[in-house]
Amino acid sequence: MFKKLRLTSKIENALMLTFTLIFLIFISISPDMNLESLKGVLIIGITVGIIYGLVAVGISLIYTGLDVVNFSHGEFFMLGAFTGLTVYNFLIDGEIIYKIFPEAYGWVGYVIGLFLAFVTMGLFGILIERIFLRPLTKKGGGYTVAGMGIIICGFGLSVILQNVAYVIWDPTAHPFHADLGLPITLGGVTLPMTYLWMLVTGFIVAGALYFFLNKTKMGLGVRAVAYSKVVSNLVGINVPLYISIIFGIACALAGIAGTLVGPTYQVVIYMGYIILLKAFAAAVVGGFGSLPGAIIGGFTVGLFETACAFFISGSHKDAYAFLLMIVVLLIKPTGFFGVQVKMKA
Amino acid sequence: MLKINNLVSGYGSVQILNGSNMEVKNQSIVALLGGNGTGKSTILKACSGIIRAWKGTISFDGEEIQNLAPHKIVEKGLVQVTQGKDVFPAMTVLENLRLGGFVLKSNIDLKNNLEKVFNYFPRLNERKNQLAATLSGGELQMLCIGRGLMSNPKMIMLDEPSAALAPQIVMDIFKNINKIRKDGLTVLVVEQNVRMALLLADYGYVIKDGAINVEGDSKKLMYDESVKDSYLGGGGTTVNV
Repeated sequence: MFKKLRLTSKIENALMLTFTLIFLIFISISPDMNLESLKGVLIIGITVGIIYGLVAVGISLIYTGLDVVNFSHGEFFMLGAFTGLTVYNFLIDGEIIYKIFPEAYGWVGYVIGLFLAFVTMGLFGILIERIFLRPLTKKGGGYTVAGMGIIICGFGLSVILQNVAYVIWDPTAHPFHADLGLPITLGGVTLPMTYLWMLVTGFIVAGALYFFLNKTKMGLGVRAVAYSKVVSNLVGINVPLYISIIFGIACALAGIAGTLVGPTYQVVIYMGYIILLKAFAAAVVGGFGSLPGAIIGGFTVGLFETACAFFISGSHKDAYAFLLMIVVLLIKPTGFFGVQVKMKA
Repeated sequence: MLKINNLVSGYGSVQILNGSNMEVKNQSIVALLGGNGTGKSTILKACSGIIRAWKGTISFDGEEIQNLAPHKIVEKGLVQVTQGKDVFPAMTVLENLRLGGFVLKSNIDLKNNLEKVFNYFPRLNERKNQLAATLSGGELQMLCIGRGLMSNPKMIMLDEPSAALAPQIVMDIFKNINKIRKDGLTVLVVEQNVRMALLLADYGYVIKDGAINVEGDSKKLMYDESVKDSYLGGGGTTVNV
């Protein structure tokens, strides 16, 4: 009886296609529609999308590895942005970089900032996991009462980390003047260098993550632990260590995404909140718990949001991601690549 | 090789094992028999470190292992082989086998062991690039045993290798288990298929209510009335096991 009520995948796909077509027709009759603006929207959408994707991959990794939805993930993004900003200001404004490389430009400082944001957030994530999450997950995570506790603790951790950032960096918005050179023109679209950095670095990091997960021994272990901790134990994987590694990688991805976004907008202690929700939308659209799904979801949300903001109205930019999420959930509750339920032993 | 002394353990606050004693001699096949919910799998889980022993000791190769982390126990050479459904379905057969050799330090060992496993189970070689989810039940069980052999173990513990398999395939797998023993490994096999297990094993233990009820040579156990009792809760003589 339940089988009859469920939408078959064919109907789901047809509805999804209909929605996409309606959306495309809707934006194509917009008065702003021309080839130039379409190209711009595509490039900006993909750029924003890869950032959402990187944060969403972290959320999905933690969800599969720890059975916990990490609501404090946005704060690692924020702290990563602050780390990158601080390192950049220290190197460039303090003119330390010119003592080592007299010929250096701003991008050298920015690259070091990106790298340090990645490493620092990774180590910080491992520390947080070891101190706060480990004692809680030991009591049984996932779908138990203790698992609910961890989710609430995620909110608490988010507030605490924001306040730590408040104490260190003030609640004012910090401009991130990364000196990366003049805007360049890509296929008729003028793009600020910060966007190009986001695009290129985002793809490099996503590619590196793919390589790490699929081609290295440690990546194999990460995938095994994400699927089943009991079986991973039995094949001789040090599961507690790998859970820390999973959390660290997820936080490092959020950190580098923060430094990438920083120069485009500004760095402020409240920036983690909206990216967390957007990344959740991306993860849900792609299929919660699926890593390729998270990246595809990021692109989908980024493109949809940018297109709607440009062709419909820019003043409700933040609402479009959630509109898309609701539509996808109504039509295809599992997301693009999601599984029906996560099987638990 | 493996010696379990007065083992008490369970899940959460529920006690399953009430002081079990067992011994597995070097290069032997020992069968651990019992009905559903008697604690067979619990003993295996305690041996591989997934659950902790509340009381008593487990010693392997002369060392006490009841307080070691699961991956340390695998490094010592004691590997539990789960039922066929416990593979990683989204990975290829080769990746599954690589995971089995996760504790190996060198790539040469990994390659040698892979060859050894393909020798036992040529079917896995044919299907090495397929996803594990596409394998049949018998192939999954072969994959699980192969994965257990990848880490150069001294002893493997098999959890119901015959579960939900056709008799033909069970025969095939049991022949391979015998071959594995001849190559110098010790085997502990937990079974519900009493007749098959006793044909294979040298020695047998029957567990009832969390403690060893009957033990003895497998030839002797095969005709023992109390084995039937253990299975059927007494009185069930009409079923020929």
